[in-house]
Amino acid sequence: NGKIEWAMWANEQALAAGLITLTGVPRAAGVFVCLLEYPRGKRNKGTSVERTGQYCFTVCVKSFGPLTRNYYVRAFLHAAICVPGGFILAAVLGCVCLGIASLIYLAAAIRGEQWEPILPWKESARKPVGESIKLPPQNPPPRPPAEMRRKRAEDLEAAAYVNPIAVTANDD
Amino acid sequence: MALSVRSWVANEGGKHLVLVLWLGANTLLFMRTFLLYYCGQQYHYLHQMLGLGLCISRASASVLNLNCSLVLLPMCRSLLTYLRGTHTVRSRKARRLLDKSKTFHMACGVAICVFSVVHVSAHLVNMVNFSVRYSEEFPSLNVARYRGEDPRLIILTTVPGITGILLVLILFLMFTASSYCIRVSNYEIFWYTHNLFIVFYIILIVHVVGGALKYQTNFEAHPPGCLRANQTNPDKTEEESGQAEGDGRSCREEARFQPNSPETWLWVSGPLCLYCAERLYRYIRSNSPVTIVAVVRHPCDVIELRMLKKDFKAHPGQYIVLNCPSVSSFENHPFTLTACPTEKKETLGIHLRVVGDWTERFTELLLPDPGAESEILPMVQQRRYPKLYVDGPFGSSSQEVFNYEVSLCVAGGIGVTPFACVLHALLDGWRHFRLRRLYFVWVCRELQSFYWFAELLCALHHKLWKENRPDYLNLQLFVSQTDGLQNISEERYRPLSSRLMIGRPRWKLLFEEIGRTNKHKRVGVFCCGPKGISRTLHRLCNSDRYSGTTFEFNKESFS
Repeated sequence: NGKIEWAMWANEQALAAGLITLTGVPRAAGVFVCLLEYPRGKRNKGTSVERTGQYCFTVCVKSFGPLTRNYYVRAFLHAAICVPGGFILAAVLGCVCLGIASLIYLAAAIRGEQWEPILPWKESARKPVGESIKLPPQNPPPRPPAEMRRKRAEDLEAAAYVNPIAVTANDD
Repeated sequence: MALSVRSWVANEGGKHLVLVLWLGANTLLFMRTFLLYYCGQQYHYLHQMLGLGLCISRASASVLNLNCSLVLLPMCRSLLTYLRGTHTVRSRKARRLLDKSKTFHMACGVAICVFSVVHVSAHLVNMVNFSVRYSEEFPSLNVARYRGEDPRLIILTTVPGITGILLVLILFLMFTASSYCIRVSNYEIFWYTHNLFIVFYIILIVHVVGGALKYQTNFEAHPPGCLRANQTNPDKTEEESGQAEGDGRSCREEARFQPNSPETWLWVSGPLCLYCAERLYRYIRSNSPVTIVAVVRHPCDVIELRMLKKDFKAHPGQYIVLNCPSVSSFENHPFTLTACPTEKKETLGIHLRVVGDWTERFTELLLPDPGAESEILPMVQQRRYPKLYVDGPFGSSSQEVFNYEVSLCVAGGIGVTPFACVLHALLDGWRHFRLRRLYFVWVCRELQSFYWFAELLCALHHKLWKENRPDYLNLQLFVSQTDGLQNISEERYRPLSSRLMIGRPRWKLLFEEIGRTNKHKRVGVFCCGPKGISRTLHRLCNSDRYSGTTFEFNKESFS
């Protein structure tokens, strides 16, 4: 039960807060937060679901290295944006939400979570799945060469051979 | 693939009609309240002070009232199960709408969030206007204490202001934790934040009691605007009559104001009580623990569990929710019933696949370690099974399989469970159902998975042959992993091995075949499996190649 990844929730909150801040006065802060938070991080366990078109954002955010990987930095950054913004009436809603996101990022950072980029990788494990077989087999199973198959009446024992593939009787 | 209007209307028409009605109700409510505050005489002075912010905030508040009351109704699952099961709702079309109850809940939730943002923004403007346009003429209309009072102070020192802030915070927490991603990965965050709804509703009812906005009670005696026409000192009380310039209206009294009476509790209390009653009922019903009768291990990580519970009745296709306190006190997991209690056999059965932490731990508690079976003498011990609580049964779309003349059931892997229950019911007696023909397509990754229900399928097949209805059940099994030669070699499972195909099914051909052999009928399509299959089938149901046959799509979903 201790396997909750808090950073994912903080990410949703920060993105929502960024969008709300876009409607208020400090628009630049809102744009910055949205750009930072749009690419979702990779989950520790399980499949990660990307947001639409987040690959270019992932590359940009990844290029800042430890600044964006570490959640303490993000917690501090969001706190730094929301505190002065909270004094502007038009931005108070977005800033309060950003403050909550900052607290949850702090909790995630204390528990040692980190932002890992979701990068595309080639799926090698799953083999490709075939279509239904449309036609019955065209070739009969392999048989020994003709001279062995010809029945020699004088030597019935030597004419017998063992089929390489076992054939079962119909009334099995 | 061309979209057929008739197929689309049959499949999507009902949902879209409900959507249009809901949008219409919201729009109507918004416009009506907006116009009331814009043109209404009793709000004239208030409108003068606050401007457009008043109308927008009140209009969005009434939309919020509607949606806060509607959002609870789709979550009354026992009530919906009752409506679905006992044919209280006669039309099959209407029962299909119940499948979309969670979507409707989400639509109302999104509307609440959007209109909350509108409402808050408009009220922020109102706060500024209360401060800047502080009215000396009508002191009782003011919320600010003096002209130029800081709007933030107004918010923090009034009841509606503080409760409004708390409401927004709770809504923010609930909304951000409900995204699909979070529900799939960290369900607990979603569950615990969503249960804050009760705090939300309590604070909501306190929020509207503030009485900040007032209306004029005596606008017949004091038509709005007549004071201005008299141009006298606003401190003097107005007793003169008929001195209005160019208005011709008499001003007999001073304007009197009274706070709006809160109507939110009228909207919200009904559904809230209904939902609380529903939760209480579910809690009481699930409080009697079940007795675990048998645990069977199946290939491919599947465990079958047979239980006994008093007074438990279920229909095929319904699901239950399990809670095992020894594994986790608060986690509840849904599982479809694979065997319903009947007169002959009173146990209820589920098949669960070991996929996450909870199922792993639960299986450990139920079954001994495989390593421990190396004892020479198998000892028959009384196993101490963990205590288990069962909530349910809850309805799902698979219950409708019996109500079509022809049904197509498509199962992917462990998604076969609702249909297994259907097959059990057919084994007990198939004549009294409306169903005349069942196409059953089961796609699995591994061959071993078919052994979960091999007995059941063969038993039903033999029964139908004996009773001279060989065309009742059309079985097709597909193994999607194509390595190696695979076959079901047991003699008693011969009907399965001859219907086993390698590779994935070709849905278009299947639909065409069903269309040709069931012309001009309505075929119910039921899918329980991965999203890819479900999307393909849904698309095929909406397209038009099938000689007059209509395919109605019903999807089973858990999250």
